[in-house]
Amino acid sequence: MKKFSQLAVPYIVWSVIMLLLPMVLVVFYAFTDSGNAIMTFTFTIRHFVRFFTDPDFLLVLWRSLKIAIKTTIACVLLGYPVAYFIANSSDRQRNMLVLAITLPTWINMLVRTYAWIGLLSKGGLFSTLLGFFGLKDVEILYTEGAVLLGMVYNFLPFMILQINTSLCTMDHSLLAAAADLGADGVHTFLKVTLPLSLPGVISGISLVFLPAVSSFFIPKLLGGGQYFLIGNVIENQFITVGEWNFGSAISVIMAMIMMYSMYLVRHIEARNSGNARKES
Amino acid sequence: MKKRVLVLAAILAGVVLAAAGCGNSGSGSGSSSGGSADSKNENKFAGQTLHIYNWGEYTGENTISDFEKRTGARILMDEFESNEQMYIKVANGDAYDLLVPSDYMIERLLKEDRLQKLDKSLLTCMDSLSDEVRGLPYDPENDYTVPYFWGTVGIVYDKNKVDIADLEKDGFGIFLNTKYKGDIYLYDSERDSFMMALKYLGYSMNTDDPEELNAAYEFLLQCVNTMEPEIVTDEIIDNMAQGRKALGLIYSGDATYVMAENEDMGYYLPESGTNIWSDAMVIPKNAEHVELAHEFINFILEHDPATDVSTYVGYTSPNKEVMEELSGEGGEFEGINAYIPRSGNPNDEVFSYNENSRKVISELWSKVKIAASNAN
Amino acid sequence: MKKKKRYFGVTIMILALVFFYLPIITVVVFSFNGSKSLTVMKGFSLQWYERLFRDSQMMDSVYTTVLVAVIATVVSTIAGTLAAVGLSKSRRVVRDLVLQINDFPIMNPEIVTAIGLMLFFITLGVERGLLTMILAHIAFCIPYVILSVMPKIRSLDPNLADAAMDLGATPWQALTKVIVPEITPGILSGALIAFTMSFDDFIISYFVTGRGVKNLSIMAYTMSKRVNPTINAISSLIVGVITLILVLINLVPFISSKIKNKKNLTEV
Repeated sequence: MKKFSQLAVPYIVWSVIMLLLPMVLVVFYAFTDSGNAIMTFTFTIRHFVRFFTDPDFLLVLWRSLKIAIKTTIACVLLGYPVAYFIANSSDRQRNMLVLAITLPTWINMLVRTYAWIGLLSKGGLFSTLLGFFGLKDVEILYTEGAVLLGMVYNFLPFMILQINTSLCTMDHSLLAAAADLGADGVHTFLKVTLPLSLPGVISGISLVFLPAVSSFFIPKLLGGGQYFLIGNVIENQFITVGEWNFGSAISVIMAMIMMYSMYLVRHIEARNSGNARKES
Repeated sequence: MKKRVLVLAAILAGVVLAAAGCGNSGSGSGSSSGGSADSKNENKFAGQTLHIYNWGEYTGENTISDFEKRTGARILMDEFESNEQMYIKVANGDAYDLLVPSDYMIERLLKEDRLQKLDKSLLTCMDSLSDEVRGLPYDPENDYTVPYFWGTVGIVYDKNKVDIADLEKDGFGIFLNTKYKGDIYLYDSERDSFMMALKYLGYSMNTDDPEELNAAYEFLLQCVNTMEPEIVTDEIIDNMAQGRKALGLIYSGDATYVMAENEDMGYYLPESGTNIWSDAMVIPKNAEHVELAHEFINFILEHDPATDVSTYVGYTSPNKEVMEELSGEGGEFEGINAYIPRSGNPNDEVFSYNENSRKVISELWSKVKIAASNAN
Repeated sequence: MKKKKRYFGVTIMILALVFFYLPIITVVVFSFNGSKSLTVMKGFSLQWYERLFRDSQMMDSVYTTVLVAVIATVVSTIAGTLAAVGLSKSRRVVRDLVLQINDFPIMNPEIVTAIGLMLFFITLGVERGLLTMILAHIAFCIPYVILSVMPKIRSLDPNLADAAMDLGATPWQALTKVIVPEITPGILSGALIAFTMSFDDFIISYFVTGRGVKNLSIMAYTMSKRVNPTINAISSLIVGVITLILVLINLVPFISSKIKNKKNLTEV
C-alpha cells in the first residue's frame, strides 16, 4: 500500500514546481512593481486599479465576454441537434460520425483557422456566394462575424462530442418509461432527455467559453490588427509593450473571471442534478 | 489488438519523424545564386547553427539555403514584427548570434551595452556600401553595425482612387480626410504612427514634449474614431498589391514591392518631412557563433545575395552597385520612386532613442489600438 | 413521425459535415494551385509542395512539432500513469491537493499558463528554446493523462494489487502485469489526448520558446501576414497523414479479425 503511494511523489514535486510555482509567479508579478527583474520589488495594487478605472480596458473585457457568450450559445444551438442525431444513430454509424467530427480537431488549430482566411477574403468562396444574392463587395474577413465564425468552427466539435457522450450514457429505459406513461415525443424530450443531457451541455460550455474568452490568435488572424480582445491585450503587454506586471494583473483578473464562471456553472449543474434526482 | 494499434502508431510516428528529419538535414536544393562553395569554409562552420533574429519576410528566396550550402552551417531564424518585440526578447536573455534592429533601437542597445564590436578584419563587405549608409549617426565608425536595408516611410496610394491634389494639400493629414473613410490602412508600429502625426503637426519626431506627444495622440485617436482604418503590418503588402484599399502608411521597401506588382499604385512623401530609416546587422554580446555571424554579414552584402534579397523583398540595398543596377535601366525597380530614398528635404529626420518619450508613446499607442477596436 | 425526424437530422448532419470539411477541402484543393492566390484557382501545380520541402525553416518547424509531441506524449503518458496509480493510493488530503494543482493548466486560460511558464523560465534563468518547449508540453500534458487514467483506476478492485503480491508478485510486477493491463484504455486515450494537445499547441509554445525554435503553429502564425500558399501544402500533408492513420487504425482490427477468421476456418 505504502509502496504504491510513493509512485506519486515525483509528480507531486514536479507539479508543485512546474504548475503551482508559475501561477504563484503570475500573481506575484500582478501585485508588484518589479519590472521584468524579480530582484527589487514593491507591493502595489496599482495595476488592478489601472485596469478597472480605464473605460477602454473594461470595454475590451466586456466585448470579449460578449463574443464568448455568443460563441457558446451558437455552439449549443448548433451542436445539440447534431449530437442528438449522432446519439440516435446505429452504433456503427455513430462511431463513424464521431470520427468524422473528431478528425478536424486533430488538424492543427492554427492551420484550420488559416483556412478560413482564403474562404472569407474578397474574391473568395463566400463573397462570391453572397454576390449571387446581390450583396456585392461585402467584407467578411476582418469583422466580428469572421471571428465568431472562426471560434464556432474551432470549438463546436467539442460541444457536439460532450453532448453526444451524455446523451449516449443516459438511461434509455427512462425514455421508454415516459412513453409508457403517455408522454409524446416533444414532452419526453423536454422533460426527460434535455435535463438528463444537461451535464454534457455544461461540460461542453466549459470547453467552449473558456478558450473563447482568452483566445488571441483567432481574433488576430480573422479579425485583423484592430480587433482586440482581452487575450490580445495580454499578449500585447507581454510581447510588445513589455509591461509584464500590468499584463500579469490582467491575466489574474481574467483567471478570476474564468474560475467564477466555472464555479457558477458547476453550481447550476449540481442544483439541476439534485432537482432531477428529486423529480425522478 | 490494442497492442497492434500502439505499434502501428509508433511506426507511423517514427516514419514521420524520419521523413521530417531527412528533409531537415538535406535542406537547400534550390538553385544556387551565391558564389562557388568554399571548401575551407564548409569545414570550418559545418555543424554550427546561426541564430538570427530578423524582420519577417526579410530574406530572399534562396538566401538561407545558399548560405547553408556555402558554409555547411544551419540557419535558425526567428522573426519579429517590431523593434519593441525584439528588444523584449533580447533583454530577457534570449541569445541570438545576429540581430537586425532599426537605427533607434540600435542606439538603445548600444546605450545598454548589449552589443559587441565587430571584428573589422573579418569583414570584406564595407567597401560595397553606399556613402549615404556608411557612418550613420548612431554608429559613425561602423564599429558595431553594418546596414542591411534602408529607406523612408510614406503613403502608398491607388492612383485611380486618390487625388494627388489631396495628398499634396494634406500630407499625412490625409489620414483624417473623411473622403477616404473606411479605405485606409494604418501601420501597427508605435513610432511610425506617432512620427506621421508629429510630422503633420509640424513637430520633430524625436520630441519628448508631453504636449506635443499628446497632440499626436489626439490626431491618432481622431483617425481611429472617424476613419475606420485597418491597422496592419505585413498584410498591407499583398492587400495593396491587390488594390484592396485606397491608401496606407507604408515602408518604402514594401511600397516598392506593391508598385512592382501593381502599376496603379504610387508612393508619396509629404513635404512636411518623413523618417529616413536604416536597419542594420549587429552582434549581441551573448552571441555564440561570432565568426559565423561575420560570415553572414559578408554574405548578405555580396552582389548576388544582395540582389536576391533586394529583389525579393523590395527594400533598398545598402550595396551601391546593386541599388544602382536595380533602379537603373532594365532593372527590376526601374522607375519606381519608392526604391531610392529621398535626400535633400530638411524636414526629413532620423529617429533617435529617447527613454522618456519611448514609454509614453508605447502606452499611448496601446490605447489608440484599443480605442480602434472598441470603435468597431 | 420518426422518418420525418431522420430527414431533418440527416440534413443537419450533412450541413455540419460540410461546415467542418469545407475549409479543409479548400486548403487541399488550393495547395495544388498554379497561382499564388488564395481565392482563385489557376491551373494545377506542385510548386507549393516543392517550395515546402526546400524551405528549411518550414521543415524544421514540422520536425520540431513532431519531436516535441512524441517526447511529450511518451513522457507524460508514463509519468501520468504512474502518478495516477500513486495518487489513487495516497492519502485523501494529498490526492485532493495534487488534483487541484493538476487542474490549473486545464481550468486556466491557456495564455495564463503560458505566461506563468515563461516567467518561471526567465526567473530561473533557463534559456528558452527547444528544452523549455518540451518541458512546458510535458507539464500541460500530464494532467490530461491523469484525468484520463484516474476514472479507470477508481473502477478497479482496490485489492487487486494486494492479491497479486500475496500470490508472490513483486510490487513492480503487480503494477505492470496486473494494474496496467486493466487500465490500458484509459492510458491509451490519455496518450491520444496528450498527443493532440501537444501537436495542436500554439499559445504556450509561442511564449516559452526562444532562439528561433518554432513549431508548426508558430510558423503558421508568423506566415499568416503574407499570402503564403505553402501553408496550404503543409496543411494538406497533415490532413493526409492523419486520415491515413485513422484509416489504418480502423482497418487493422478489421483485417486482423478477418485473418483470425481465416485461421479458424483453416484450423478447423
